[in-house]
Amino acid sequence: MLIPKQRLSKFAGYAMAIVVTWSCAPQRPYRAPLPRSSTPAPSARVTPPPALPPAAPPVETAPKPLPQESKIREQDIRTAPTPAPASKDVKEPAKQASISEPRGSSEAAPTPTTPPLADDSSLLAKITPGVSPQRAASLRLTEEGRKLLDAGDPAKAITRLERTIVIDSTNGYGYFYLAKAQYRMGHYQQSLNLLEVAQSRLGGEPFWMSEIYALRGENFRALGQTQKAETSYHQALRLNSGNRTASDALARASGDSPAASK
Amino acid sequence: MKKFQLRIFSFGLIVLLIITTTGLVAGAWFLKDWEDKVTKKFEGRKWDFASKIYSDSYHVYVGLSLRRDDLVEKLRRLGYYETSGSPKTQGAYQINVAAGTIDIFLHDFEFPTENVKGYPVRISLQGNIVSGIENLADKTEKFDLELEPEVVTGLYQRIWQERRVVKLAEVPPLLIKTIIAVEDERFFSHAGVDPIGIMRAMLVNLRHLSLQQGGSTLTQQLMKNFLLSDERTLSRKFPEAVMALIAERKYSKEVILENYLNEIYLGQRGSQGISGVWEAAQFYFSKPLSELTVGQTALLAGLIRAPNRLSPYRNAEAATKRRNVVLAKLLDDKIITEKQYDAALKEQLPQRALVKVTNEAPFYVDYLRRELDQNYPKDVLEKEGLRIFTGLDLRIQKIAEKALTEGLAKLEASHPALKKKSAEEGLEGAIVVVRPQTGEIKAMVGGRNYQKSQFNRIFQAKRQAGSVFKPFVYLAAFMHGGQSGTQYFPDTVVNDSQFTWNYDRGQSWQPNNYNNDYYGAVTVSRALESSLNSATARVAQDVGIRRVREVARRLGIESSLPAVPSLSLGSAEVTPLEVAVAFSTLANGGVRARSVAVKHVMDQNTKVLEKRDVKLEQVISPSLAYTMNQLLKGVMARGTGAPARRWGFTRPAAGKTGTTNDYKDAWFVGYTPDLLAVVWVGYDGPAKIGLSGGEAALPIWTEFMKAATANMPVTDFVSPSVPGSEKSEDAPAEKCGSATREGEPPGAPCPPAPAKPAEPV
Repeated sequence: MLIPKQRLSKFAGYAMAIVVTWSCAPQRPYRAPLPRSSTPAPSARVTPPPALPPAAPPVETAPKPLPQESKIREQDIRTAPTPAPASKDVKEPAKQASISEPRGSSEAAPTPTTPPLADDSSLLAKITPGVSPQRAASLRLTEEGRKLLDAGDPAKAITRLERTIVIDSTNGYGYFYLAKAQYRMGHYQQSLNLLEVAQSRLGGEPFWMSEIYALRGENFRALGQTQKAETSYHQALRLNSGNRTASDALARASGDSPAASK
Repeated sequence: MKKFQLRIFSFGLIVLLIITTTGLVAGAWFLKDWEDKVTKKFEGRKWDFASKIYSDSYHVYVGLSLRRDDLVEKLRRLGYYETSGSPKTQGAYQINVAAGTIDIFLHDFEFPTENVKGYPVRISLQGNIVSGIENLADKTEKFDLELEPEVVTGLYQRIWQERRVVKLAEVPPLLIKTIIAVEDERFFSHAGVDPIGIMRAMLVNLRHLSLQQGGSTLTQQLMKNFLLSDERTLSRKFPEAVMALIAERKYSKEVILENYLNEIYLGQRGSQGISGVWEAAQFYFSKPLSELTVGQTALLAGLIRAPNRLSPYRNAEAATKRRNVVLAKLLDDKIITEKQYDAALKEQLPQRALVKVTNEAPFYVDYLRRELDQNYPKDVLEKEGLRIFTGLDLRIQKIAEKALTEGLAKLEASHPALKKKSAEEGLEGAIVVVRPQTGEIKAMVGGRNYQKSQFNRIFQAKRQAGSVFKPFVYLAAFMHGGQSGTQYFPDTVVNDSQFTWNYDRGQSWQPNNYNNDYYGAVTVSRALESSLNSATARVAQDVGIRRVREVARRLGIESSLPAVPSLSLGSAEVTPLEVAVAFSTLANGGVRARSVAVKHVMDQNTKVLEKRDVKLEQVISPSLAYTMNQLLKGVMARGTGAPARRWGFTRPAAGKTGTTNDYKDAWFVGYTPDLLAVVWVGYDGPAKIGLSGGEAALPIWTEFMKAATANMPVTDFVSPSVPGSEKSEDAPAEKCGSATREGEPPGAPCPPAPAKPAEPV
């Protein structure tokens, strides 16, 4: 019996999503090793992201010394081969959704596996009494950068956002919005690099991880890497089923498929 | 006889004819030449515009650690001046010590991404922390502001004239009338030369028996500035007058006047000449032409006669006197009313500490120049008035320069042999400072004395890296493990004993430890802290030299790295800048930032020609970077970098010494999460300094870091598990909690630094 092609690719997409989730999940902190016991160190120290069921083994499962280097591979360092340019409408970054730009729901979005997460996008809400002055200043600037992005001025936003990481290099939101600004400027590879940094800073925040995956999907899509894009969108939805950037993109993709096959 | 006389007469006539004809031809030729020159000047390119190099702007935000004195010094350098009352005009500031506030009326500034109009602002300080920022114009709370960058130097040919060209319509009529009244009151009625004016000048000169006045019209002055020398001689006067007549015949009074207003020299700031009324209004009053008061207009017009002698910055009394003379003339000519005259007399003269623009970062500028030369032809750089914004921090630059020159002098003083050798060869050093998060080069000193040697050792000198290379060996070991199957951890025990590394068809290499002292079984952390050669080479052999090389590349080393065993101990030649980039990657949690000196390039019309954003790439995992940072903190706590602690640098920091074969190069690279500096000391030639990195480079690094970080918040390296939790305002001077030594519990007190650090060859 033949499995329909569409179902097959969907299945493959889910499998890939799980694999990528595992391999890209935030790593456990490095622990100062205790004097060695006879038991060998565990080979993998990669923690799957929250809200995900145990998934398929990670991409690299071979035993590795600590700290593990599963995420960074040689191919990540070299410039990715330039794919065929995406279609014009796909490359229009200014029209992409952002977390501050609510969009209409999409009918064709895949069924979410988890309930939508509460909106955690307000950075000013994160300035609480215990927050260091540097972090507070950095968050305020990030918020300004976000507004400039929403106002359609990514160049100015970048100048502001670069300040955020100077003040507080642990502010992952700053890196996220820098990635978004670079995406808007059409610098997709640079945006992907920044998302990787953002991910290393925001590993414990599912809402933001979902945003990172969605934006990663947008970048891949703009680069013409549709398979990777789809995987990233699915990943974003697994973390937060309410991620509209991802659901809309997937809806658009499924809507485009028949046309494409024609 | 008559015949002879006739002959003489005929001959004389012919001679006269020849002379007259020659004179006429020569006169016509000169006239044509002068006309061509005048036409070419009026219709061609009139001025060259020097490009300006700016430092980084100064970002002030709520929460910033900022000493009042530092802010005041910054304001002074930017040409702000203190007033006793609330600042009413751009460039003024007032300090209120009791309230802990500084009110500043900011200058206008065209930043690459926005044009900021100056406004009054209040900065409140609680101790050394900025606790509030308020816009005094609209009483709104602000969270940050940006002070404009400083001009570092200009790129120009021959002389540096600072000027912005304006249209005649942009110049206030009062300024035009005033200049005409005091410089050439018959401007609109003469034909380029004013005989009445000349007669008057001659009388004055006769009376004083010296050249007091020239009687030049504005057109003559313009011709002199455009086409002739500054010499005040009668032989220059003739062509000047003829050219003025030519110009008046060919061009309208308005065209001549507009050129004059843009051309005229009105002051000097160091090597920077202030030309044209727009630039002068900015220089003296920090305001656009349209906002000049009557008194300011009179002062400006009065300056034309002798801009430096009558400068309010140099001689307030002379400037006031001249201004009042001009005001009286305006009143006499009924250009201003008596009321305006009285008010203008009461106006205060502009005050400002005259900060000269002297290139304080020549090596940095040379580095920039090389970067810029790739995209901009020399003529464009020196004539098109580009504005080049950089990452340079002049405060840090000065500290770096001082630390290097004083450090090298101290070394020579404490090591007489070095001084003797220096007399022949010249002990050299270099320091480069980078912000790890963005890759911005904050300071660069490429040598001891720029006047003596412009060779920039930061990016032009390739020197053996020595032990600075060792962290790459251990990173490779942590990442890949050994070919023997050994997994490496900071507490993995390795063998520090002599051995021979056989490689490539019968070749062998034997690494030696410093003083031939071997320590047997040691942990990786101990091997790195004490920079043990043998142990490191053994690990490199197990991991494979190609993997070590790959890690170095990944972090940012670009020079050729031969895959030979000695690479593990830093036999490859690298530049200090490469070392800075590679270790910045560690400081920045595994994120490599492209090194950036030029950030923006803007043209004269404020169009951004080039924008170099921060370019980042996560090249090793945050946890791996954190591990290495912890190990290198151990170097500072217990290893070869420990003397820095004794010398008073107490912040959380990581670092590594480097000493090369035969003691030719001494290195130290060290960093906090926010600032990294690499110091190299050695000779340009083959001479040995005979000192280790800890002895020669570390003292310079320590002095630099103590001063450079004095006003920065104390930060520590972030554990990847707790993002945002790293900021500690009261980090202990020395924490040995990472327990990278065997058998010591976390938080154990630091053992004393080794009496003599085991420094490798």
